[in-house]
Amino acid sequence: MAVFASCGEALALGLASGPACIAACGPIVVPSLLTERAGLRPHLRYLSVFLATRLLGYMFFAVVAWELGALASMLPAPRLLMMGVVYVLLAGVLLWYAYAARRSCVQPCADSKLVQIGENRNRGIAGAASLGFLTGLNLCPPFVAAGIRAAQLGSMAAAMLFFAVFFLGTSVWFVPFISLGGITRNQAVLTVARMAMALIALYYLSMGIAMLLGKKTYGY
Amino acid sequence: MATDARILPLARPSPRGIGRSLLLTLPIFIWSLLMMGFRPGAKFDPVSSIAAILTALFMTMLFFMMMRSRSTYRWRRIFFVSLGILFPIGFIHNLLVMRGTMGIPIEEMIAGRTPFCFMPIPLLILPAALTRTLVFPGSIGSASQGIAGMVGLWLALTLVMGKGWCSYACFFGGIEEGVAAIPSRAKIRKLDPRWRYLPWAVLLAMVLLSLALFEPAYCMWLCPFKAVSEYVAARNTIGLIQNIIFITLFAGLVVVLPFLTKKRTQCSWFCPFGAFQSIFNKISIFEMKIDQSRCKPCLLCQNACPNLSLSKESVARGETLLSCMKCGACVDVCPRQAVVWHIKGTQIAWKPERARLMFLYSAWALAIMFGGTIIAGGVYTILHFIV
Repeated sequence: MAVFASCGEALALGLASGPACIAACGPIVVPSLLTERAGLRPHLRYLSVFLATRLLGYMFFAVVAWELGALASMLPAPRLLMMGVVYVLLAGVLLWYAYAARRSCVQPCADSKLVQIGENRNRGIAGAASLGFLTGLNLCPPFVAAGIRAAQLGSMAAAMLFFAVFFLGTSVWFVPFISLGGITRNQAVLTVARMAMALIALYYLSMGIAMLLGKKTYGY
Repeated sequence: MATDARILPLARPSPRGIGRSLLLTLPIFIWSLLMMGFRPGAKFDPVSSIAAILTALFMTMLFFMMMRSRSTYRWRRIFFVSLGILFPIGFIHNLLVMRGTMGIPIEEMIAGRTPFCFMPIPLLILPAALTRTLVFPGSIGSASQGIAGMVGLWLALTLVMGKGWCSYACFFGGIEEGVAAIPSRAKIRKLDPRWRYLPWAVLLAMVLLSLALFEPAYCMWLCPFKAVSEYVAARNTIGLIQNIIFITLFAGLVVVLPFLTKKRTQCSWFCPFGAFQSIFNKISIFEMKIDQSRCKPCLLCQNACPNLSLSKESVARGETLLSCMKCGACVDVCPRQAVVWHIKGTQIAWKPERARLMFLYSAWALAIMFGGTIIAGGVYTILHFIV
């Protein structure tokens, strides 16, 4: 009975935290999805990989933090360091993704005609997997809220279950992203998505470096 | 010789008569007086009266010249550059008088104690939709002039004019248009057309980051015009970096590149609000069209466009790109009058002067309402120092 109650609480927390989750992951998911081929299936595949590896990231962090006894109360210094590393890695993957997306053009992107988007040659899986895992490690507010509640549970297994159900609740909010598959892909969309990824990567890179140097990025 | 023959001009329209031009200008004169505050019972000090009268006459005179000469761009540019120069003068003076500094602490921004700026409007949509919270770095209006009123006014004007906002109301674009007017010819002529996509990328990135960070990311990190308005007070390294970014972007996009290219590079290559306004060109009733029966593709219009809104392909299709700001440069430069103002739903070249007049009345009314009052503020500041 206690397990059901815990699962219900995790699901409710996940559903309630969904907007914050898509806000935190939106800058990564939206432009990278726009470099995929149009259509429901490529987007479904991307999101499945992204969400699966995001769950993996959640679980990985939760297990390590549980073992270290720091699931609910991570000290500010290591948290800043971890966030800094995750941000720099996210920036690196986004930049690589933006660069690799140029291969999506059947014709050279400089061509003024509309281009067809070709096969992605597994770029989607590797890219989506890396981005999903790193966003799973990202200590976004809903994740911290779930971590505090999970830390109060009696065992690691119960905490893992709590995280998994919480993850399911938040994942519902990602379903609308599939509709991006309805946007026609042409040179304009692809170029805009790549440029946006580069800009977002620069932001994460600068924030990551600032965090690694111990600089406050808010409250200035 | 063959090339010359191809672009031989048709007869240019003769200037409109003075009486008829004055009659067409009369509504704008009345509107100018109203917008400058000349109403029964209104009280003025002498300096602000002079500023208001000068501005009303200035705006009316420019409209008269548009009517008389039947050309648009050069008269609009005089207004727009004046707006770009006088806005910082009035604004910075006000900041220094009210606060003693141009640097605004972040807590002042969060508390909404900074002036209204239209730039963050597209950044508000997603946070407002998902959390019912406006992440706006300033006050949107007083109690009697609430958010709904301001957004409603902007939306109504935008629906009519589309991206015309960027040529007749934006108080930043005039600075780079002024710089672009300085050199006689462009030093850099070959511009990669892919840069036209950058404003859309900036818009996408800033909308998503504003949602993630719950702050208007563009205002915090990328707005070049922070260099001539209020900026984040540099209290630490991050604040210093922000200000270095603002000044670098201003120097590059608003001064150096417009000088080298004779284009409005910040508007064409960077401004997310401009990209957002472009969407409304789809539903605006006014547009520019190219009459294919008259056009011999000399591409003078493409070269004249300050916003890179014409390409060979778009000229061949007989239309401008989505980013067209309706400034009228292409219409004025065309030697065959092939580029025309057009009302959607009518035939191309159906009474283009009537379409131009209808557009200009709404555009100039907007120009006086936003730009005119700002110009009056700038003139007042200058007079305040002189008198």
